[in-house]
Amino acid sequence: MNVPIIDPLQGDFPEVIEEYLQHGNMKCIAFNRRGTLLAAGCADGSCVIWDFETRGVAKELRDKDCIAPITSVCWSKYGRHILASATDKSLTLWNVVNGEKMARVTLQQTTLHARLHPGSSTPSFCLACPLSSAPILVDLNTGSSTVLPVSVSDAGNGTTAPHPRNKFSDGSPPFTPTAATFNKYGDLIYVGNSRGEILIVDSKNIWVHAIIPISGGSVVKDIVFSRNGQYLLTNSNDRVLRVYENLLPQKFAAKELEAISSNDNEFQGIEKLKVVGSKCLLLFREFQDAVTKIQWKAPCFSGDGEWVIGASASKGEHKLYIWDRAGYLVKILEGPKEALIDLAWHPVRPLVVSVSVAGLVYIWAKDHTENWSAFAPDFKELEENEEYIEREDEFDLMPESEKAKDLDINQDEEIDIVTIEKDSAFSDSDASQEELCFLPAIPLPDVPEQQDKCLGSSSKLEDSNHSGSPFSIEAAQNGQAILPASSPLEVVGNSTAEEAVETSSLKRKRKPSAKGMELQAEKGRKPSTKIKLSGKSSKSKNKHGDGLDTNGSVLEDDVTDDYL
Amino acid sequence: MAAASTDGGAAAATHQPYVLRETLVGHKRAVSSVKFSPDGSLLASASADKTLRVWSTADLSLCAELSGHDEGVSDVSFSADGRYLCSASDDRTIRIWDLATAAPLKTFTGHTNYAFCCSFNPQSNMIASGSFDETVRVWEVKSGKCLRVLPAHSEPVTAVDFNHDGSLIVSSSYDGLCRIWDSATGHCMKTLIDDESPPVSFVKFSPNGKFVLAATLDSTLRLWNFSAGKFLKTYTGHINSKFCIPAAFSVTNGKYIVSGSEDNCVYLWELQTRKIVQKLKGHTDTVIAVSCHPSENVVASGALGKDKTVKIWIQEDEDQKEAE
Repeated sequence: MNVPIIDPLQGDFPEVIEEYLQHGNMKCIAFNRRGTLLAAGCADGSCVIWDFETRGVAKELRDKDCIAPITSVCWSKYGRHILASATDKSLTLWNVVNGEKMARVTLQQTTLHARLHPGSSTPSFCLACPLSSAPILVDLNTGSSTVLPVSVSDAGNGTTAPHPRNKFSDGSPPFTPTAATFNKYGDLIYVGNSRGEILIVDSKNIWVHAIIPISGGSVVKDIVFSRNGQYLLTNSNDRVLRVYENLLPQKFAAKELEAISSNDNEFQGIEKLKVVGSKCLLLFREFQDAVTKIQWKAPCFSGDGEWVIGASASKGEHKLYIWDRAGYLVKILEGPKEALIDLAWHPVRPLVVSVSVAGLVYIWAKDHTENWSAFAPDFKELEENEEYIEREDEFDLMPESEKAKDLDINQDEEIDIVTIEKDSAFSDSDASQEELCFLPAIPLPDVPEQQDKCLGSSSKLEDSNHSGSPFSIEAAQNGQAILPASSPLEVVGNSTAEEAVETSSLKRKRKPSAKGMELQAEKGRKPSTKIKLSGKSSKSKNKHGDGLDTNGSVLEDDVTDDYL
Repeated sequence: MAAASTDGGAAAATHQPYVLRETLVGHKRAVSSVKFSPDGSLLASASADKTLRVWSTADLSLCAELSGHDEGVSDVSFSADGRYLCSASDDRTIRIWDLATAAPLKTFTGHTNYAFCCSFNPQSNMIASGSFDETVRVWEVKSGKCLRVLPAHSEPVTAVDFNHDGSLIVSSSYDGLCRIWDSATGHCMKTLIDDESPPVSFVKFSPNGKFVLAATLDSTLRLWNFSAGKFLKTYTGHINSKFCIPAAFSVTNGKYIVSGSEDNCVYLWELQTRKIVQKLKGHTDTVIAVSCHPSENVVASGALGKDKTVKIWIQEDEDQKEAE
């Protein structure tokens, strides 16, 4: 994807909403490793996989057992499996290619965040972070789970001594919200606990190897690595986002950590863990909004780790804050008046995808200004007027010199037309043949055209069900929800649309008054008139951006012009 | 069977000459395009007689005849898994055919003039098509929706092609330009233009996506490095001034450029030296289509109205030669 001629400045951040995706009520999203597929968990328990290149639905993962709203989705490393956690305390592992449920585990509590082990191609382990207790490592094959330690008391390693601050008055188990994530290759787990500490735990033997205290000591809500594993982001209850530099190597980090740990014999117990911790993570930057003290939601890094994005959903707003890694706030993006619930940055492109409480997925992209010199290579684009000074001999006629330039291309050079260069953005892909980058697109058969227009209109309405969603995208440019009725027309062809409109034009000429138009538009919730109105509006959507109700009188003019 | 004659003795010393294996008869009017499937088991040919024919490469028998277009078909393209064919026709539509059932599956309408060329992307979830209405349209295979209309050129678009990972589209036109587009966003990335701008009749990416092979109606084929915007190699010797004759890369046994010609022959040039290594004679009209088998040393060619046949050429093995 990183072809040299694609604008190098594309490694930037998005600016405007490009379009939105609508299919059911989506709650959480995740990109696959290459950003070609977007998985979305819905409120009805199904997962929708979008083909991000065509912005159409590629697959739906449904099962009769999975009906509870999904709280998080996670892709496996090679994109063949998806793990979905739902509010009925379950975790479901799906096989993406055949759409089947592979494993289902029910836990004691609802998981807010579930993450598959990033290192293996057929993941069986996953990390589940419930709402109010310690994160659990779950084996999806056997269903067994191991609770991770969330704090280390002086007594020993691994005991969970509840902090007095978090105990409820009636003595019931403390509310200890924690966040956890795997490191890049999955051998270590970084846990952020309610005391404001980051614990580095070995994922195999559940030993706490290091502790890094966060200043302020407030509950850690989110903990996220950048894609290359070099930076770690924490979101704390004190409304500060902190970025840490990961000092451990990417591969075999656990071994390195053990080596550091065993080398250090000066300290014991917690002191030792803290010293080791200081060798693993280094505080790099802090981001906060000092004025409004926003509680950040769903913070993450950009694909290349250059930008940090945090969202604000306070008071039902949909705002994205983007900082560069040096700490400067570069952009605040404001979306529609629907609270934001989830966010993801595309792994490669400067695109951000956000989910609003209305169940829609908004795609933010760069505002593209046409590169005119791409169309006419002889021209160079200037930022401002430049004074052009001609050469002395600019307009002299010198016929001999014109022919010389043709021959200075060495045509005998060897060129290689077969070797494919490796994509630098995915340089760590070791077995890229296994990776699932796209789902096969099976064309949906066309509905056969009907001669009888009225009958034809209603049958097309029914068939719109399976192709409802992609067509909403086209109208999304105007930012409206599109009627499903308009979609079948686009599939079947313009000819039927023309016929349908033509007949209506004859009818409508008899009722020229605006009021009459309105009445008819309202009455026209019946299938046949509905189609003609929307069919025309989709063609002329450039002219009338508003709803169907007001289209009446203006439509008539267009109709008579075009279809005489 | 007619034996092919060689041209340029020294250059042909290492080149095994292609000979005619079979002539496939059946089309009732001129053949417009021939393509091998990505796995090499099928050969599709499109014709002005409004049909597509699918032949098996193993025994060269007819597998299916696909009809449904209202006008002649100009181009055909296989999907990456070889299950679907798309065809571009003068009836302004692009159609997708399911090869398992030999039935039309989808029709894409939208072009306002003859659809001239079409191509699946490597992921086969999109189809790009070029048309006489001067635009390139990108369609979603699954739903049939037109995803983009690229304001590509100011003259009919003669060819479209995706690069090896589907991120770029190249289009060529009679206006003398080749334009490269980002397939994800539809933005123009580059325009290739030379000093004189003869109509470009065909354009295609090299297998590694770094070079673009462009055929122009001044009987020249040029290999461009599009990032630099300069051409690196020129291939001449054939005749091409009227028709849109595609060229192909033959990489199975040495690197060659293969193209049809208006003098009824198929030309083969060696890629690096640019010398003509062979002229395949046998057709009785302009050779309007060529395609190279993806893994074997087989070339298929189709010719216009006086000929109406598809010819299959293979490289003789040493054993076969001695047996004769």
